[in-house]
This record gives sequence, structure tokens and C-alpha cells, in this order.
Amino acid sequence: MPVMDALIQLSEITKRYDNGGHPAVDDVSLTVAPGEAVAVMGPSGSGKSTLLNLIAGLDRPTTGTVTVAGQRIDRLSETGVARFRRQQIGMIFQFFNLLDDLTVADNVLLPAQLAGLRTAMARARTAELLAALRIEQHANAYPARLSGGERQRVAIARALVNRPALLLADEPTGALDTATGEEIGELLLDLNASGQSMVLVTHNPDLAARYASRTIQLVDGRIAADVAAGAAASPGRS
Amino acid sequence: MSAGPVARAARGGLTRRRVQTFVIGLVLLISTGASVLALAIVVDSNAPFDHAFTAQHGADVAATVNSARATTAQLAATKRLPEVTAAAGPFAEATVTATVPSQPGCNPGPDSSCLIGGPLPPITLAGRAAPGGGVDDLTLQSGHWATQPGQVVLDGSGSGPQLGVPVGTTLTIASAPGKPALTVVGIASSVTGSADGWVLPGQVAALRSAGSPATSELLYRFRSAASAADLSADMAAVRSALPPGTVTGSLSYLAVKTLETGDIAPFVPFLFAFGVIGMVMSVLIVTNVVSGAVVAGYRRIGILKSIGFTPGQVVAAYTGQVSVPAFAGCIGGVLLGNLIARPVLAQTASAYGVGSLSVPLWVDIAVPVVMLCLVGIAALLPAVRAGRLNVVQAIATGRAPRTGRGYAAHRLLGRLRLPRPLTIGLAAPFARPARTSVTMVAILLGAAAVTLAVGLSTSLNMVVEALSHTQTEPVQVAVPGKAGPGGGIIHVQAAHGGGAPGPAGQPPSAAQAQRAIETALRAQPGTLRFVAETDQIVSVAGLSQQAMVTAFRGNASWTGYDIIAGHWYTGPGQVDVPARFLTVTGDAVGDSVTIINGNRQVTARIVGEVFSTSNDGLELITGWKTLASIMPGVTPSQYDVGLRPGTSEVAYIQAVSNRLGPQYPVFPNQRHSHLLQLMVVLIGTLTLLLTVVAGLGVLNTVVLHIRERVHDIGVFKAIGMTPRQTIVMVVCWVAGTGLVAGLIAVPAGMVLHGAVLPAMANAADVGVPANLVNVYHPAEMAGLALAGVVIAVAGALLPASWAAATRTGAALHAE
Repeated sequence: MPVMDALIQLSEITKRYDNGGHPAVDDVSLTVAPGEAVAVMGPSGSGKSTLLNLIAGLDRPTTGTVTVAGQRIDRLSETGVARFRRQQIGMIFQFFNLLDDLTVADNVLLPAQLAGLRTAMARARTAELLAALRIEQHANAYPARLSGGERQRVAIARALVNRPALLLADEPTGALDTATGEEIGELLLDLNASGQSMVLVTHNPDLAARYASRTIQLVDGRIAADVAAGAAASPGRS
Repeated sequence: MSAGPVARAARGGLTRRRVQTFVIGLVLLISTGASVLALAIVVDSNAPFDHAFTAQHGADVAATVNSARATTAQLAATKRLPEVTAAAGPFAEATVTATVPSQPGCNPGPDSSCLIGGPLPPITLAGRAAPGGGVDDLTLQSGHWATQPGQVVLDGSGSGPQLGVPVGTTLTIASAPGKPALTVVGIASSVTGSADGWVLPGQVAALRSAGSPATSELLYRFRSAASAADLSADMAAVRSALPPGTVTGSLSYLAVKTLETGDIAPFVPFLFAFGVIGMVMSVLIVTNVVSGAVVAGYRRIGILKSIGFTPGQVVAAYTGQVSVPAFAGCIGGVLLGNLIARPVLAQTASAYGVGSLSVPLWVDIAVPVVMLCLVGIAALLPAVRAGRLNVVQAIATGRAPRTGRGYAAHRLLGRLRLPRPLTIGLAAPFARPARTSVTMVAILLGAAAVTLAVGLSTSLNMVVEALSHTQTEPVQVAVPGKAGPGGGIIHVQAAHGGGAPGPAGQPPSAAQAQRAIETALRAQPGTLRFVAETDQIVSVAGLSQQAMVTAFRGNASWTGYDIIAGHWYTGPGQVDVPARFLTVTGDAVGDSVTIINGNRQVTARIVGEVFSTSNDGLELITGWKTLASIMPGVTPSQYDVGLRPGTSEVAYIQAVSNRLGPQYPVFPNQRHSHLLQLMVVLIGTLTLLLTVVAGLGVLNTVVLHIRERVHDIGVFKAIGMTPRQTIVMVVCWVAGTGLVAGLIAVPAGMVLHGAVLPAMANAADVGVPANLVNVYHPAEMAGLALAGVVIAVAGALLPASWAAATRTGAALHAE
């Protein structure tokens, strides 16, 4: 039974990419409350990105259930999960994943346009986000002209344009230098402070410690530790 | 260079790109098949005649001379003219009418196809002591040559009258004094149709009808005989060497060849057009496939080179990827071409009277070799580009580098108030202008083929109507006892219905029959108009072959003959003729012709060129009085009936049949041309194949595009693009290109139609009325303009569905 006030409810999910092999995510159960900032850590191949993809509905679990914002997304059709994603989920990636042939403003505007938001409202929201993230001067530039930090700000603006309930970030500072990474970290912290729920996948323990209220350690697809900020590690909190 | 690693690399590329491998194979299969078919028909439409002409030392011109106008020495002197390389004759000749007895056991019926006896059409018999000679060396097909008076050898070649009279039959020469009998002792063939039969020289005089002029035949081979102009100049030299009026007629080998190849030659222009379109499309698609494989495989190429592949080995690996499916496609195409060619070549074989024709072996070898060479060249250029790639750059780039093109298109289209997936899709072609251009040309060619096919099919269906007059005279009533011009093989319409005029059990007289039919037609409420018609075989001065006069009693301008030039005859002494008549006689509209029937002749002016292929185009259409002046007492053989609008054809026929009785065949005018039907089917088939090829070209382009943009597709889906929006976006990648291609394809197809149809008509030696060329209506053109979009969307739908179904996570991590 999903916990009604949980934003994310994963119940005994397992994800296998081939039948005989080791599962990428192995019998994981996890609950994230609204407003939480959860960091998922672990070595390469531990299943961090797979877990994030399952929460985003980019992939489906082999077994178990995924409930986000009260919606069983593992049961949704491709169209249903796409609609869900654009309403409830914002995603940012290590390598930004901006569309090179669209301007900054068009990149940010795109999810709103896909969601069918009225043009005027979508443009106003885009302008508001570009200003808030201090990249409004690049609105008509193409991503290739921007620095890494600026590109990640554009990606964050794009992720937030539809006011998602959940922000998912996959190594958001992984491709940035330290100073820029800190800037982006502060930005995420500010977002969380304003009530934005988020799950971020990172290799960086400092980032996790400074910007997340809770850290989950994955090893071989299983939760090895689930630690609240300032608390001692405890395995498999749910 | 070691072949092992190259082969393994090529095999790896093949298995990684199964769709493109399949596309190349199928495209080559279709275009090779179309090319084999086209070339086989081109070769087979000419080869049998050319071979027979060479083997028989065919006469370039068979000239008919009036023996009374020139001495034997004067005639012999023409053989020594500088233009003449060989000659034979003079052979005395006589034009006779003969009757044949019924074949024992032959019962007339609707499907009977046997000799039921009666008069044969007039035939020209030449006196020759032996079949051989330096010119027109006849081939004896059966029986033996005439060894004594009373024996005749008939022509059995395709250019002859096809009498269907077997060896052993006795002919009664009804037109000669005393009605002598001739026994058919052999069947021979003359490639140039020098005569319809041969007797011993001494017998010719006895076969001439009383009062007819003594004519002889001279057969010439000339130094320059490649064109009609050459032959005309040659004959001018012969004429000038003889007293005026000596040469009364001539038949060139070109005219005979046109007659013989008339059935098959019209296939050549459209097959050529479709073959060229298919070939160009194949080259474009293969270029696109290999270019795309290079662009999409930068990382792979980098890895191959980093582990030691030389540029040459990379080139070999990438051309090898293409050569395997191309080879398989070409072999399949040869088989396909042979399969489709079979029914078409059967028509040719029938036209030449040879047992069977097949695709020549050299065509089966040359076409795939040429196609493979073209494909090899098309693959080589992008493969060389792959070979020259910088290793580090290729590996580092990992995926196709961004070109930086098309950004402005994205920005502009993004401002339109259209769904974003649609505008993103429409802007995509600008990112890869070269690939877009190649795809556009492929779609354009496919859509142009559709426009051409629609035009040709419309024109050919109109040809069927124009030749059969089914719209204007949907019902015909045959006059009892009139079996059309000449006898021989006669198909007899089964009689049906109720009572009959005339004494019971006796056929009505001609006058009775005419009165009965006209009364019945006038009494029938659905009758709009009718006209009596007869078809009679006659001779025409200057024409060695027999011609047919179609004469109408009363106004027949409504019967549906399309006028190509001049006008419909308006009075006695005027005739309309088809294009082939003008070609064979060398006459033009405005010239006069002399029509001969036995001792009687009439001169008529050609007032119009009409669209008709009756009697192989050797036809004169005229009023009753013109024919009656040389054929007194001629009576109608049938009545052509036009119906009032809304009249049921079936009910009308039933009613008239009931009124006239069983001796009067009343039938719908439903003449079909199997040849034209075959053409329409073939055009439809080839168009379908070419549109499939164009669609495969689109599919290939979209697959390449998806491979390159798989990561972007993942991003789109990650930020909320639904599968349906993904399909719309991917389809729009090529829909705009298809629309532009379709808009260009309509005028291109119309221009092609305007060139191919007259070429077909020219090959068949018929004129083309303007209404058969101008067949495109505005609404139809608007519909055809969408052909490009249809091809594009059809080709893109499948890969678009694949893109929509791609797992987002996998797409995001794909390179």
C-alpha cells in the first residue's frame, strides 16, 4: 500500500537487463517525502542511474511497484508516462542534454509547449526562470556558445518550467569544474529550501553532505545505507 | 591487404544495419528487374526482324512497276544504278481474289476458329521460279516450292495477310478468267513482305483479271537505307531512271518493320522512362545509405583505424557492406525481370510468328553488371570519406558531429502557432541539406512516376475508347450473311432471339435485312441515331499491301473517330486515313489517293488524319458514294447505333434482338485491346515498384536520421514528448520534403507524359489526338501533388513507430 503523503514510494523493485545476470536494482524499497532532498550515492554500476530512471518512468521495473505523486507509473502506458513526466518530473543530467539546434529560450520553453501550455504563459514562465537563474542575457543564444555552468542552469530552467513536483538530477555537477559545481549545488539547495523535492545521483560525498537532507548508499543494486543529514548510517530505511 | 579483417568488418556493418541492407537489396532488385525488362523488350522488339532481314537478304524496297511503261532493258538498268547494291526481278505479279472451301467438320460458333470457307481478301501473287536469290531469299516454312502450273506457295510471315490457309487447300481464283484453281503446296516467308504468295512465272498472266494492267515487282537493296529519307532519295533515283509513271507503288522495309513491331514497340518508351527513373533512384538511395553509414559510424571507423585498418581497408569494408545486398538484389532483379518479361515477350513472339522469345543472356549479364558498377561508384565516394577520417577526431566525436545548419529554420518555425513536435520535425531537413536533397530527388522521381503512370493509364484507357468507339456507338447490329472484309479464319457470332424476316429457314436478302434492321432501330425508343457501315478490302495505287475501306451510308461524323489533322470527310471523293497509311504511302493530308477495285478506280483527296488502327492502320474512311463508285451494289455489313442518354444497353440489345430475331446478331460494342490492358497493368506494376523504392529511400533516410538523433529523441521523451508526438515529429522530418518534391513532380511527370506518350504513338506509328495528351485535370493535379507527401509519410511511419517505441533510458545513453 502506498503511503499517501509520500512523494515517491518504491516497493520491492527489481530491474534486470538480462535474464541470467545480476539485477541492476535488486529488491529496493524506498519512500521519499515531499520537500526532501535525497542524494543517491554509490560506485559505478551500483544501480544509481537505473534507480533514477525507474523513478522518472524512463524505464520499468522487472518486479515491484513505483508510485510517484500518488500515481503508479509502472502501470502507465508510454503516452501516460510521458504525460506524467512532463507534469510531475523535471530532469537534469550530467552532460546537460540540451538540444543544440534550439536556442536557450526554446530549450526551456519546449516542455511547456509539449504539455500544451498557452504560449504567453509559457513564455512568461521561461523569462521568469531565465531571470531567476541569471541567464536571461543568453535567451537567444545556442547552447554550444555557453559555458558548462550556464548550460546546466539552462537545463535546470527547462526542468522547472512545468513546475514539477519532483526534480531528478543525474550527476548535475559531474561535468563542471569545482567552482561552477558549487554554484549549481547552491542553486539546488535554494530550490529545495523553497520546497522543491529532489533526488540527485552523485559520486561526490561533499555534494551529498552539503546539499541533501538524506543520503542513500547503493551497492550492487541494493540499499547499503540510508542516512539523514547529521544522523548515523542505518541500512535500508523506508 | 588482408581480406579477412575487411570481410569481418563489412559483415559487422551488415548485421548492425539490417534495415539499410534490406533497403539496398530491395531497391536493386526492383530497379534491376525493371531494367532487364526494358532492355529485353527493346532488344526483342528489333532483333527477330533484323536477324530475319539479314538472313533473307531482305529487300530495302519492293517496287511495283507498270511493265507496259518500260522495257525490260530499262527495268534492268535500274539494277546498275550507283545507289543499288543488289536487286532482283522484275517478277510479274497479279492481284487476285480467291475463295476457299470450308474445312471439313468446322462448325461455326461464337468461339470457332477454323476455316469455314468463303472469299479471301485480295492477294498479290508474284511469279518466281525458285525461293532463293540474292535479294528476298524466301524461307520455306512447310511444303515445297511450286513445281508446275496450278500450284501456289502462300506467305506465312507476320507481315503477310495471315490467311490461315493450310497446305493442301485448293483456292479458286474468282477474279481470273475461267476461275482457275491453285493448290497450296507450301508456306514461305518473306521478311519484307514482297508478295502474299508465289506461283511459277509462266502462270501469272493467266491469273490477271481481264483489263487489269501488267505489273511486275522489282526488289532493291541500297547503299544507304538507314532512314526513310535515304530510301526516298534512293527511290527517286530509280523513278528518274524509268519513264514517268512506271513505278506505281513501293514498300520499304522500314514500313514493314513498323507494321511488325507495332504491337511491341510502344512498350519501349515507357519502359525506358521507368527503367531510367529506377536506376537513378537506386544510385541516390545507395549513396544516401553509405553516406549515412559513414556519418553514423564515425566512432566505429575511428576504432577500426585505431586497431590498424588502413584507409584502403576502411573503404573496402564500407563498399563491401553495400556490395553484398546489392549483388543479391541484382540477382533477384534478373529473375524478376525475366518473370515479368514473359507475358510481354509472348506478345512479341506472337507478332513475329516465332515460337517463343526470352530475355537474351547478355541482357541478364549486362544489366546487373552495370547496376553493380553504378552502385559501386555511388558507394565509393562516401567510403573514401570514411577512409580519410581522422582517428582521434572520429573516436572523440563518438557520434555524428553537429553541422550547425538548420538553426535558423528551427527558430523561424518555432514562432509559428503550430504544435512544437511538428515544427521541430519540419525544421530537421535543413540540418542535412545534402541528404534532404537526395531524399527529395528520390521522392520526386517516385511521385513523377505516379504522375506519369496516372497520365499514361488515362491516355491508354482513352485510346481503348477512341479506337473501339464504345461510348459513341455502344451497340452494333450485324447484317446476316456479311462476315466483314475477306474470309479465311472467321469468328462467327452466335445467333439468338425470336422471329426472323425472310422465308422461314432462309437467310434474308440484303435488301430485306437492311429494311428489317432500319425499321427495328427506328422503332426502338432508345435509338439516338444509327449509320450503316461496310468494310471492304481494296488496292491503293502506290501501296503494295491491301487497304481496307470503311464506308458509311449517312452521316457518321458522330461515330467517334478522333481527328488528328484536317477534318472529317464531307462528301464524295474525300477520305480520312490513319497516320500509318500516311507513313506507308508517304502521303499527307491534302494529297490524293487512287483506290482500286479490280478494273475500277476512284481518286479521292485525303481530307483528314484520324485515330484508328484497324487493318494495321491501312484504312480509308469515306462516304458510301466513294466506295460505291468502284464497288457497285455494295451493301452494309453492320449498323452502328448511338443510344439516347439513360438507355440501358443490355435492355436495348435484348429488345432489338427480340424484334429482329435470331438471324440478326445484335451485340454490345465491347472491343478490348489485350495489348493496351497489358500496358496498363505493366505501368501500374512498375509505378507501384518505383513508389515502393521511393518509400524505401525515405525509410532509409529516416532510419539514418533516427540513428543520428537517437540521443535527442531520448531527451525529447525525457522532457515529456509522448509516442504520438514523437511519431508526428519524425514523420514531419520528411513530410515537408515530400510536399515540395510532390509539387515539383507533377509538372515533371506531365512533361514526361508529354514526351513518352507521343514516343509510344510514334513507335506504334499512330498519331495522337491532343485530347489524349492533355489528360490532367486541375483536381487530379492537386491530388497528384500529394503523392510526394504520401510516399514520404508511408516511408517514415515505420521508423517513426520504432523511434516512438524506443526506451527513453536506452536512447539517452545511446551514442
